[in-house]
Amino acid sequence: MKAAVTSIGVAIILALIFSLPALAQDSGTITITMTGVNEISISLDKTQWPLGAVAADTEQTTSPPIEWCTLTVEGNCNVKTRILGEDARWYKDGVAQNYYWTLSNTNESDISDSVRGHKYMLWFRVRGDNPPDGRGYVLITKEPSEFWPPPSGGSSLAPGDTKQFGLKLLTPTYFVGGRQMQTQITISAVAA
Amino acid sequence: MVGRVKLAGLIAALLVILLPSFTLAQDVNFSVAPAEVHIDNLPLGEAAEFELTIHNKDEIAHVFTFTIFQPPEEDRRKGRTEFPDDSWISFSSQEIEVAANYEANVTVTVAIPREQEWAGEDWETWLGVAAESSDLLGVKLYVRLLVSTNSAMGARSNAGLVIGIVVGIVLLGYGGYYYFRRKAKPE
Repeated sequence: MKAAVTSIGVAIILALIFSLPALAQDSGTITITMTGVNEISISLDKTQWPLGAVAADTEQTTSPPIEWCTLTVEGNCNVKTRILGEDARWYKDGVAQNYYWTLSNTNESDISDSVRGHKYMLWFRVRGDNPPDGRGYVLITKEPSEFWPPPSGGSSLAPGDTKQFGLKLLTPTYFVGGRQMQTQITISAVAA
Repeated sequence: MVGRVKLAGLIAALLVILLPSFTLAQDVNFSVAPAEVHIDNLPLGEAAEFELTIHNKDEIAHVFTFTIFQPPEEDRRKGRTEFPDDSWISFSSQEIEVAANYEANVTVTVAIPREQEWAGEDWETWLGVAAESSDLLGVKLYVRLLVSTNSAMGARSNAGLVIGIVVGIVLLGYGGYYYFRRKAKPE
């Protein structure tokens, strides 16, 4: 009788030893944390640059050249910002057409006019970011690159911080005229 | 040849090119909360859900779209590796229209397959929120999503449960058999 009770007891204990961790595992909690700062936001006070008619192989600069647009950090967290461009596309009556100006990934000095063809170029320049220590005009490409802070280092932007900047565009050496071209430059932000 | 290209460029210059559209200039202003999400101890084979709140601070309605972006290593938090598969993350809607000066929520679900190779990982990926626009300048806000999976796999835990039950039944059976055999024995 004693042995039977003991063996039943051992059986229950062993079963519990094996199964309890498993049961605990199944009822374990997934922790979702919205850590630290809770809102990210940047604003731009200007989003359009209506150029009108442009000639081939000419530079267009925003006016004023460097203080044209103001980026403001609106949220409550420090941010790192990046910028990228895309090909310009022909829009006819608001409908995208199959004709592009390719956004160049190479600086103008590196390629000849004949190679550039339907390629156009975009640059941005942040106020106060001047050579020799700063960057001056920076090429905008289809790969995201640092808007602020610059790759050489520097502080991320804090809530309330502003950065003024301007744009420069070089039209292709040749393009089909009479077409409305449209492109977009995206400025992105992520918590620093 | 170069001269001919330049001449063609001059001819093109006489024609009208517009960049970009004629519409009136506007600013762009919206926010996303939270800016960073940590999911810890996510068991393999299970899903976690959380909400993103998009606040349209503009005076006009906007359609917001959602994307997933794999940041380069230098932009990830320390110790975090690339999130293996974008398809493990889903949004309740791929786009959402938010009226002027209003907020809207979108639910994000993260589900990791039940495979041992994904146990004990610390990943990072970014969730992008952008307002659809034909303007020259656009804004995209990224939410950092940091996911850590359980180091133990659920299947192993279930195996433990099964083994425990089997051992228990065997021992109970043996104990019961032994007890009744002893009881049935004539004194």
